[in-house]
Amino acid sequence: MKNKIIMFWAIVILTIISIVIIKVKPIPLGLDLVGGSRIVLEAQTTDTISKITQDMMDGLKSALENRVNAMGVSETMVQQMGEKRLLIEIPNISDPKLAREFLGETAELEFKKPILDDNSNVIGWEASGLSGEDLNKASVGTDNAGRWLIALEFNGKGAHKFAKLTREFKGYPIAIYFNGESISEPNVQEEINGGHAQITGNFTHDEAKKIVDLLNAGALPIPAEIIEENTVGPTLGADSLHKSKFAGLIGIAAVMIFMLIWYRVPGFIANIALIIYSLIVFAIFKIIPVTLTLAGIAGFILSIGMAVDANILIFERTKEELKSGRTLFTAINSGFDRAFTSIFDSNMSTVIICLILYFLGSNIVKGFALTLMIGVLVSMFSAITVTKNLMHLMFGTGQLKYPALFGLKESDINEAYNAAETQRENAKFGLLD
Amino acid sequence: MAYSALNTKKIIDVVKYRWLWLAISFIFLMPGLIAMIWSMKVYPTHTPLLVGIDFTGGTIIQYAVNKDISTPEIGKIRMDLSDNDIENPVIQILKPNNTEDNTDIKNIISIKTKFSANGQNETIDKVTSVISADYPDSQLVQVNSVGPVLGKQLFVNSLIAISLALLAIVIYLTLRFHFEFAVVACLALFHDVLFVVGVFSILGLVFGVTIDSLFITAILTVLGYSVNNTIVVFDRVRENLKFYSKKATYGEIVNASVNQTLARSINTSLTTLLTLGALYFFGGVTTKDFVLVMILGVIIGTYSSIFFANALIVMWHNAKEAEKEKQAK
Repeated sequence: MKNKIIMFWAIVILTIISIVIIKVKPIPLGLDLVGGSRIVLEAQTTDTISKITQDMMDGLKSALENRVNAMGVSETMVQQMGEKRLLIEIPNISDPKLAREFLGETAELEFKKPILDDNSNVIGWEASGLSGEDLNKASVGTDNAGRWLIALEFNGKGAHKFAKLTREFKGYPIAIYFNGESISEPNVQEEINGGHAQITGNFTHDEAKKIVDLLNAGALPIPAEIIEENTVGPTLGADSLHKSKFAGLIGIAAVMIFMLIWYRVPGFIANIALIIYSLIVFAIFKIIPVTLTLAGIAGFILSIGMAVDANILIFERTKEELKSGRTLFTAINSGFDRAFTSIFDSNMSTVIICLILYFLGSNIVKGFALTLMIGVLVSMFSAITVTKNLMHLMFGTGQLKYPALFGLKESDINEAYNAAETQRENAKFGLLD
Repeated sequence: MAYSALNTKKIIDVVKYRWLWLAISFIFLMPGLIAMIWSMKVYPTHTPLLVGIDFTGGTIIQYAVNKDISTPEIGKIRMDLSDNDIENPVIQILKPNNTEDNTDIKNIISIKTKFSANGQNETIDKVTSVISADYPDSQLVQVNSVGPVLGKQLFVNSLIAISLALLAIVIYLTLRFHFEFAVVACLALFHDVLFVVGVFSILGLVFGVTIDSLFITAILTVLGYSVNNTIVVFDRVRENLKFYSKKATYGEIVNASVNQTLARSINTSLTTLLTLGALYFFGGVTTKDFVLVMILGVIIGTYSSIFFANALIVMWHNAKEAEKEKQAK
């Protein structure tokens, strides 16, 4: 009995710790619940790049990180998947096009010099050798008339190239191309030294800012293509979260009412175990931490079903043992004992499936597998240890005086149980009479 | 008379009516099987199910609209989209569960079109302009696009995952039980999965319901759940065989085991269905199909673990005994 009381307090402390963890740490929510973009980019080989190396991927990753950071939203993530793919997650953006614009574009800035015919007319443009790589930084500014412009600051080499270009084509136009599109074609008034330049196009503030952000983040070292995208608007996300919570609560309440009606006092104990179960599972979610997605919530709700299953198995078995005339204490013990192999084997098969899903599945599937697995493992503790402890503390070691407590009728109980067997079992469970 | 676990109230006789139970399984599975074969003939993908963009590649754009949409209106949207160079748009109206607060989304227009790596923003712009012309209060709520290469990989990975799961379960059950039980448990799993896939094949043909990677997850969960059920019954058979194999016939033991675990089988299925029902009727629109797979799986899994698996195990055992007798003669 002393052990049982120690165990009881251990369970109480564990529950309190779980509540504290749940209160203190916020649970990270997946993009499908808060809204946001999830994008998979694949690095592309070109004529000049025949093989994608890890160095290139690292370069691509840091360039993309810069870009994502430039968008100014928090908790973004860039992560390599496999050999040539990157997974990017940007929470809380409402416009799906925005992410695409930021990630898909290469951010190539190029200064082009004019091709002149014999009469000094401009008939085309050709590369001048000055590009975005020669930039130190870019910023948004306004001119005297209040129009938005992009101010460029070249590095040493760039300043030198720019001075040479303006000296050579003084009096002629030069062109500035961004991502293969001419954004400005100013006339060169004089040679510009000092490495500063301004691009005045007809920019809106947002356009100018986007170009500046892309320029500052740097060009992508290798071209990359979006191969998968999932953007969820914040309205749909909030709607899903709200409804899943609501559905989850209704589901749990329905299960609890069922347990109470069918199993009476043990059902009540199972409900307490279920609450403790939920608290521990959520605390573990927060410690790991598990990002909660819709599929994850589904996994959790399913694991509730399985946690209850363990208790149903045990209680049905206990009822059978009571019917066969065993004393309360041995009936409870052998109920747990005999149900254990079923619970163990069935839970292990679920864990095996979860492991396979976790290692082979896509991201959505992973979230589901993880929550279900944690749920099943915790349920082995809550449905067995917690319930058993509470049952013993509540019922003690005597005879079952009121079969109705278990949802049984007086007439169900079989009087003549083999006395020798009872004694043997009492000895087995350490109860000597 | 001394209490014996074998004289429990017999509610169901799985042994006597074993051919009936197998026939019922057959009736359950047949329509789905026909639908699957038919689908493989008519779909350009030659798959037994209507596969969604997760596996074929494509783009789905969804808009929330705060009013009801009639069938002619869908036709108009389709025409407008075609006029705007959107190739073969597939339009579906999703109905989310409505709770009392009016901030909820009433309808979701879901438009499926092909995947384009570069022209994606252009496609979104075009579709958005068409939708907002007809529904000014519409709101772009979700964009989901998958490239064709990735789609194929996902599909192959999913099949690998399911095969591995089945194999792992056979190995585990062979270790813990007996080869016979492992094979029958797997047949029961196969039975359950076939039923659910069959229903979705029919849903695909009739309502254009497509399957995605979440569907694969749901199928795997059904696998886990169904093996759970079968194990519980088999565990009881294993236990009873240990104690009573000399006092009773194999059929009697199986029958008793089924009836002893009957209350548990029904109650567990009921509680799981309670949570799943809550998710289906009150949960988000995104997980609705997932939950439907689970509901079907739980129902058929309960049936197969009580009737199908045990009828089979008895028939297998009887066949083996008959073989032994023959050899003895």
